[in-house]
Amino acid sequence: MKYILPYLLLGLFLSGQLLHAQEKFTLSGTVSNEESNETLIGVNIIIPELKTGTSTNEYGFYSITLPKGTYDIDVSYLGFNSLKKTINLSDNITQNFQLQESLENLDEVVITENVEKLDISTPQMSVNALTAKTIKQLPTILGEADVVKAITLLPGISNAGENSSGFNVRGGAADQNLILLDEATIYNSSHLFGLFSVFNPDAIKDLKLYKGGIPARYGGRVSSVLDIYQKEGNSNDFHVNGGIGFVASRLLVEGPIKKEKGSFLFGGRSSYAHLFLPLFDVNNVAYFYDLNTKLSYKLNDNNNIYLSGYFGRDVFNINNSFENTYGNTVLNFRWNHLYSDKLFSNLSLIYSDYYYGLNLGFVEFNWDSGIQNFNIKYDFKHYLNNNFKLFYGLNSIYYKFNPGNIQPSSDTSGINPYKLTDKYAFENAIYFDIEQKISNKLQLSYGLRLSSFLRLGQDELNIYANNKAVNFNEDLQIYEKADPIGTDTFKRSNVIKAFYNLEPRISLAYQLNSESSIKASYNRMSQYLHLLSNTSSPTPLDVWAPSGKYIKPQLLDQIAIGYFKNFNNDMYSLELESFYKTIKNRIDYIDGADLIANEAIEQVILNGKARAYGLELLFRKNKGNLKGWLSYTLSKSQQQTKGRTPNEIGINNGNWYYTPYDKTHDISLTANYKLNDKWELNSNFLFQTGQPTTYPVGQYEYNGLSIANFSDRNSSRLPSYHRLDLSFNYTPKPNKNKGYQSYWVFGVYNVYNRKNASSITFRENRNTGNNEAIRLSIFGAIPSVSYNFKF
Amino acid sequence: MKRLIYILFLSLFIISCEDVIDVAVPSENPRLVIDASINWFKGTAGNEQTIKLSLTAPYFNNSVPPANGAQIQITDSNNNAFNFVEEGTTGIYKNNSFIPVLNETYNLTVVYQEETYTASEILKPVANIDYVEQNFDGGFSGNETELKAFYKDPEDEENYYFFEFISNIPVIPSLEVYKDEFTNGNEMFGFYTEEDLTTGDDVTIRNYGVSKQFYNYMFILLQQNSEEGGGPFETQPATVKGNCINQTNPKNFPLGYFRASQVDEYIYTVQ
Repeated sequence: MKYILPYLLLGLFLSGQLLHAQEKFTLSGTVSNEESNETLIGVNIIIPELKTGTSTNEYGFYSITLPKGTYDIDVSYLGFNSLKKTINLSDNITQNFQLQESLENLDEVVITENVEKLDISTPQMSVNALTAKTIKQLPTILGEADVVKAITLLPGISNAGENSSGFNVRGGAADQNLILLDEATIYNSSHLFGLFSVFNPDAIKDLKLYKGGIPARYGGRVSSVLDIYQKEGNSNDFHVNGGIGFVASRLLVEGPIKKEKGSFLFGGRSSYAHLFLPLFDVNNVAYFYDLNTKLSYKLNDNNNIYLSGYFGRDVFNINNSFENTYGNTVLNFRWNHLYSDKLFSNLSLIYSDYYYGLNLGFVEFNWDSGIQNFNIKYDFKHYLNNNFKLFYGLNSIYYKFNPGNIQPSSDTSGINPYKLTDKYAFENAIYFDIEQKISNKLQLSYGLRLSSFLRLGQDELNIYANNKAVNFNEDLQIYEKADPIGTDTFKRSNVIKAFYNLEPRISLAYQLNSESSIKASYNRMSQYLHLLSNTSSPTPLDVWAPSGKYIKPQLLDQIAIGYFKNFNNDMYSLELESFYKTIKNRIDYIDGADLIANEAIEQVILNGKARAYGLELLFRKNKGNLKGWLSYTLSKSQQQTKGRTPNEIGINNGNWYYTPYDKTHDISLTANYKLNDKWELNSNFLFQTGQPTTYPVGQYEYNGLSIANFSDRNSSRLPSYHRLDLSFNYTPKPNKNKGYQSYWVFGVYNVYNRKNASSITFRENRNTGNNEAIRLSIFGAIPSVSYNFKF
Repeated sequence: MKRLIYILFLSLFIISCEDVIDVAVPSENPRLVIDASINWFKGTAGNEQTIKLSLTAPYFNNSVPPANGAQIQITDSNNNAFNFVEEGTTGIYKNNSFIPVLNETYNLTVVYQEETYTASEILKPVANIDYVEQNFDGGFSGNETELKAFYKDPEDEENYYFFEFISNIPVIPSLEVYKDEFTNGNEMFGFYTEEDLTTGDDVTIRNYGVSKQFYNYMFILLQQNSEEGGGPFETQPATVKGNCINQTNPKNFPLGYFRASQVDEYIYTVQ
């Protein structure tokens, strides 16, 4: 299969080239918002006469090649007034469009950015898009709109409990999501241990989540891609918007640097609940802040440059005995260049890092760890003709990993300074993606990514007898750390270990009629970085580890099929998908593995596998006073680590076990009802099968303690999770479209105060000595108020 | 309002609401539990030693049954054999002629219900507890009493420590294990925190020298059973196997551990 595929692709490529040989010209340009001059992503440019069309890319650019002639062009985008223009195409033409926001539809729920008709015909499936507007309409905890919480209301997306970090897509782990903010990788998506995500919804323009059928231009993670674009800023006028909430406040300023040419955007967000704590004589501090910045400049019609940045930190200080700071930093320079009206290119130079710092006052030491990377991406979008688009590019990432550094924080400290060995790696990829229209009914998209991962030289790489870093103790039937028999030191330019993978991607759409289609996709992906975490959801101090001599890259194969239908003139839509995926080399940890400050992580890791399959349904109502969606997922997510030889028992006796984010049933119902111009009601209802967990099978006495004895992993389940959230949006002056505008959000999270178990743990009561089960429930009914404004 | 903000903050943070609930838990057939700890307190002869055998029980039972009628013997490299005799049907087995020797290897044999269990361990020396420091303003709440029991780690060897803190407040002891990986050759401390400890309370502090294998065993055991355990950052709990092997029927493995330690005891009165 591996060898036939390139020829097959070449054949298709040539057949695409040879279709139609009449005289043709290219219409290209950008589409932007008239008010702010910001480019718009996913605007449809349709030529009804030819029953064909295209849409704008991530930078607002479109290009379409048509036979010579005069055409009516429809330019449409949800929430904006459509444009019609007649164009006489007798030469290559650059035509930019500016769309006006349709005021009467200001609060339209926009779930996908494409008009549904095109949506059913494109091969791209398993993708969910949300606009910042939709995200802000959802009722949320403490009134703070949140990107990650919003996407978990969509099918196939969940998280490992109410306050867990990150999110899980189609039964994948949180570290298997590629999270991109303006094309830069974000390593930790959570503030305050998962209470909020790191994305400021005011600064976001658009987001897309790919769950399957992932195009070849993305790589490096096996589960999903969350692609987030920040706003560019208004290059016409100066604007401010912000919000004041119970916990956090936001302020975003945007305006022109040079009218219609350049713009800036500067957004900040910070929590301040901790400022009140001294009133209660509490010395603890917990807060977060983040800054989003972006500068855009249009050099000329063919060149745009962007500089964007993100900086976020969480800070905890508990009675000065525990001080903790962590967060992401991202800096990104991009250059859009049009080589021709058919060839669009984007060059990105990206720096990103994740830092974790800890100061344990009572033991008197400082700890820091992190990951840094430099990333170059060069992407080309070649709009060859109406039926054939070719995207290709390359990507190189240089990584430096700091697994940990310990320094005594005082002269009296009993801790010796210690540096865990830094690790280095170089990840490269080249890819192409082809979107091809075979007929009016059938569209194909296919591509190939060749990825490589070079683990570069480092100091003191451990060597083990028989290359086994984990020993199996046959007497006790347990896995134990092996002792290294020596170490090797390599020059930085040496390659210790190299991996190469070919990753084919293919998807197709077959249109059954004008309102419905079926789609299918297959993709293979590889992941070379692993987040070391043996807890249900990642913690901020988990470190990333590269593949190498002892850790193999994860390899995913996923197939998905789906049925898509629009009803009643796009009033309703239905998406039904089914997927099956397997992941090779999913790392698993031996019982009792200690991951923090572990110099030799390979001694506690075994390579296993994972699988997930399921059925997803998304039913939406797109128009009218009542809008919203029903999402249902039926799925299974498991992993298995067998013994390496027949004598070994493996992890969990080599049996499949449920991952902590397995949820058999996951239902969410989201509704938005417009009562009148001033009042709007939003609600969410969620029901989820309880999370898998491990209950004790017995107790015993040892050294004066009652010890819980556990057996099979995750073989029990927490009680079912459900809750209802409500919020009201109140706009005092709904007809005011200029100058100072504001609205209030009054909300209640978990209205009927369900005590959902975040975990159930077992312990011996310290006072009575009896064993008991403790339910930890995070959020009861929580009211909130926030005030939002713009001018 | 003040209270509301405070509640909001707490919910923001280490959070919310814990309550005791009824849960149906699975159960399995009883297993033998070997609690065999040779403790040689400094300044004593160490000839009196006790081994406790019991069985596992369903998790919410109020007690665990003793394992009666076993034959227990410990041998050393000089072919001395120490037999342990059960006191009635308590599951507690005693020997009064034990000869403790530092760094000596001891072998344990238990025969229970026609199955033979064995284990082997080295009697590990330990550093003295030199002094204790106290602090009334410790812990997360800022008003817990903290004790630090200081010892000097020997520089030229890998050391593992097992600390036991016994006060009259909770009915169960507080246990900790430490290694010298990051503190080799330095003065370090065993750490104890207890909210209600006040002036005049006595705390018995014991420092046991233990093997690396025991350290690993106890580390996992404590991690899975700690008061603070649980929540989303909990590790996957599993059966924790000690160093005892069922030679007759390996599948019916025992729980518990055969440990041999020198012990330094320090009784501290809170000032």
